[in-house]
Amino acid sequence: MSKRSDLIQGTLDLLILNTISLEPQHGWAIAKRIQQVSNEVLQVSQGALYPALHRLEQQGWIRAEWRVTEAGRDAKFYSMTKAGRTQLQKELAQWERLSNAVGQVIRMLPEAAS
Amino acid sequence: MKVRRFYDIFRLRLRSLLGKTAVESELDRELRFHFDQLVQENIARGMPPTEARHAAMRMIGGLAQIQEECRDMRRTNQLETIWNDLKYAVRILSRTPGFTAVIVLTLALSIGANSAIFSVIEGVLLRPLPFAHPERIVRIFLTSDTYPKFPLNPNDFRDFRSRNRTFDSLAAITRQDVQLSGAGEPVMLRAFEVTAGYFRVLGFTPARGREFTTTDELPEHGRLAILSDRFWHARFAADRNIVGRSITLNAVPFTVVGVMPPGVQHPGNDYHAVPDGDTVDVWYPFTFEGSPNNRGSHFMDGIGRLKPGVTPEQGNADLSGVLNQLGNEHPGDKGWHIYLVPLFREMVGRTQRMLFVLLGAVGLLLLIACVNAANLLLARSSVRQREIAVRSALGASRTRIVRQLLTESLLIALAGAALGTLLALGGVRALVFLLPPGFPRAAEIHLNLVVFGFTLLIALLTGLLFGLVPALAAARTDIQQSLREGGRASTGSQRQVRVRDVLVVGETGLACVLLIAAGLMLHSFVNLLRADPGFRPQQVLTASISLPRQQYHDGPQRSRFYAQLIDSVASLPGVRSAGMGTDLPWTGYDENTGFDVEGRSAAANDNNSARYHAASPDYFHALGVTLLHGRFFTASDDAKATKVLIVNEAMARRYWPGADAVGKRITFEDHPKEKDWVRVVGVLGDVKDQADSLAGHPAFWWPLAQAPFPDVSVAIRAQGDPVLLTDQLRTAVKRLDPGLAVADVRLMKQIADASVATQRFSLFLVGLFAALALVLATIGMYGVISYSVSQRMHEFGMRMALGAKPGDLMRLILGQGVKRALAGAAIGLLCAAALARLLGNLLYGVSGADPVTFFAVAVLAIATAAIACYLPARRAAGADPMHSLRTE
Repeated sequence: MSKRSDLIQGTLDLLILNTISLEPQHGWAIAKRIQQVSNEVLQVSQGALYPALHRLEQQGWIRAEWRVTEAGRDAKFYSMTKAGRTQLQKELAQWERLSNAVGQVIRMLPEAAS
Repeated sequence: MKVRRFYDIFRLRLRSLLGKTAVESELDRELRFHFDQLVQENIARGMPPTEARHAAMRMIGGLAQIQEECRDMRRTNQLETIWNDLKYAVRILSRTPGFTAVIVLTLALSIGANSAIFSVIEGVLLRPLPFAHPERIVRIFLTSDTYPKFPLNPNDFRDFRSRNRTFDSLAAITRQDVQLSGAGEPVMLRAFEVTAGYFRVLGFTPARGREFTTTDELPEHGRLAILSDRFWHARFAADRNIVGRSITLNAVPFTVVGVMPPGVQHPGNDYHAVPDGDTVDVWYPFTFEGSPNNRGSHFMDGIGRLKPGVTPEQGNADLSGVLNQLGNEHPGDKGWHIYLVPLFREMVGRTQRMLFVLLGAVGLLLLIACVNAANLLLARSSVRQREIAVRSALGASRTRIVRQLLTESLLIALAGAALGTLLALGGVRALVFLLPPGFPRAAEIHLNLVVFGFTLLIALLTGLLFGLVPALAAARTDIQQSLREGGRASTGSQRQVRVRDVLVVGETGLACVLLIAAGLMLHSFVNLLRADPGFRPQQVLTASISLPRQQYHDGPQRSRFYAQLIDSVASLPGVRSAGMGTDLPWTGYDENTGFDVEGRSAAANDNNSARYHAASPDYFHALGVTLLHGRFFTASDDAKATKVLIVNEAMARRYWPGADAVGKRITFEDHPKEKDWVRVVGVLGDVKDQADSLAGHPAFWWPLAQAPFPDVSVAIRAQGDPVLLTDQLRTAVKRLDPGLAVADVRLMKQIADASVATQRFSLFLVGLFAALALVLATIGMYGVISYSVSQRMHEFGMRMALGAKPGDLMRLILGQGVKRALAGAAIGLLCAAALARLLGNLLYGVSGADPVTFFAVAVLAIATAAIACYLPARRAAGADPMHSLRTE
């Protein structure tokens, strides 16, 4: 297995929601896309991806349907629900707050130490 | 959006549960697609196909684990667990059908009783009154030192109406039944004279025609009528052209001006009370006649709708201000205060205590059933210890086992609730049938969604309550010990035995509380029946007759009619004596007047008041009222003779204390001449005011011939069955005047019975619940003793082998039961002593700490404990010691 950077708890949901917010995707494509966009830094394992997809579906944030891929195969595509869109906004805002806060702490600390 | 989301979630959960195979195969296909993509990617990187597949397999890792995790996410597993638990519970419970049936039945009885009583409370106390904004409607009375709750005077009412500032509308009503003649038998109609705007106070508008206006209150304008929807259907076949037509009431034509819609309810009234509900046939306008300065006579029930935001206290203060002004203008209005009662309290307030006592009783019963069920489950859980030990050895967690056992108890409780609801369906109908007459809002009592919700709630609570103790106890089981003990009937941990002892003692205690409540009520009821009411209600037929003023306009005419009727009835075979009077005991009659006693100062005479009646000579004979001094009326006490009256003992004692009242005189005139003095000729024994009142109210009687009131009651004492005289009475009346209706034909015994109906009703129910509680406690006791005996057979065998006699064993085991019963009874008696006060006016002549009841209940508790122990004790004593020793 390739090296993987652990995702902070809960950020996987954010990444999945964000990825499918543009267009419906199947699980494989979601994993690939996250990998590509993050320059191979973020690796989503299948063992984490599928349970997360099913959980999000159960919570009503995303909806699943079977469609035919460009290659002509049946695949389960996930798309955003209205509720999911609101949820994404919430999670994005929360992420912004969190990363800003972390960034600030990291920037401040060396000065405080010196 | 939210709704949509919940719908989605619900659909998915349902699919996870029901469409399991479809969901599984989809999951399969989804993961396979991922796997195939991986393989393709690997091939694209230049791997040979076989290696690509192997690499993909390595990468995807534990496929089964991913699937399981996905299932977890879909909550399939949880639902499945619940489903499996349920299936398992059904299997376990149906393996011991007798045991299950006992618990389910006892729960069904107590849950059903709770639902039934709750449905009464819901219909009577919790549902809003059937009027628009009922919280703004108040009843208006006067109150004074002597009369706590008194009707209004019409002229006072008119001043209240014009001078108040806090009421939207104000009305007064007074009952004045009328005789409808015309086509068919003449009938008496329930009728009220009402002031303008009465229906506006209640929030009703006529379905046809109009309401009364103030113009209709003027003399000679008021021959108008509004019909109730029910009466319009029954008598006029819902004639659409009824408005404007004329009907004959009391031999006078009245014009129908309106018909009320269905669902119009009478709010109940105090003076000549008519129960609430659809109980009135006709309303007609009240006419303000005579001098507006007459403030002495009080016969109107006031009712008003407060302006929005005005509290009853503010309304009270407002009207009190008006009454103060009136007191300055009219001396007769001095000494009175306003007494405003919210309609809700007036209508249903008096039922509250009884209903809460009943709710308390069924609540206790349910608690006992819970304890009983917990006890039985505990007994069984010690039998199931091995099964539970095996399950936990195989890896079931404690929560898992508690959940399994709770599922079982919830299932039992829900089965009990289902069966209980069926029982309640019948029970509510029986309850409504048994309710005391005049019980408010009886027509509104039935099972509905609120009651079903309540039933479900108590079922769930019950299931948790009685399941938790056994479940926790079972889950604490020491696996090793249980498994090591192997096939031997395990002894059940010492702690469990103690828990069961506590439960059975508690159960007995709770049952004792109920038994004492029932016992106190029984003792009160016996007291009530035994108490001398002051008259003899047996074998008396009663009826009422109303002489229309238009035909019988003067006294002599009425006197002549009464004398003729009494003569013809008294001469009938089978009649001992026949009399007539203004009223009958215990029918709510309450007419009072002031008077001056000869020889007392004006100041001392100021607050004189007594209830007045009129009676024919044989009236007292017929009712069986006793004469203490002097004489009854005779035929010679007529209009031409000197005026006389008879007083009761309460009046004699209040106004002539320590002296003989016979020969004393009173007057009703302010400046009496010699002829205005009325002489007392007899003193009667007191007739109690109500069945449950302790004394009589001061009262006097005029001879009916000297005071021929137009509305009278007939009392006929029969030699045999009084019912047989009904037809002869009707014939006698018809022969004198075919246009007269004979109304309210009842036995005096029925009236007397009705007056203790509330006590009888609550006694019956509490008694029933207490009996059930006793049965449950006995079952519990039997279960505990019988279990402990089966556990100690070995020990008993040993004792027998060492020389103990069967009698010794019997005593030992009975002693065990009696000890527990004593402890339970002691706790129960203490609780009951503290709670007995809550029974309040349901008790009569009995203190809350009635020694007779407490002693009887203690004996009963011990006796039933002994009975419960008898079978197990005999089993122990009768067993062959060798056999007992060998089986262990």
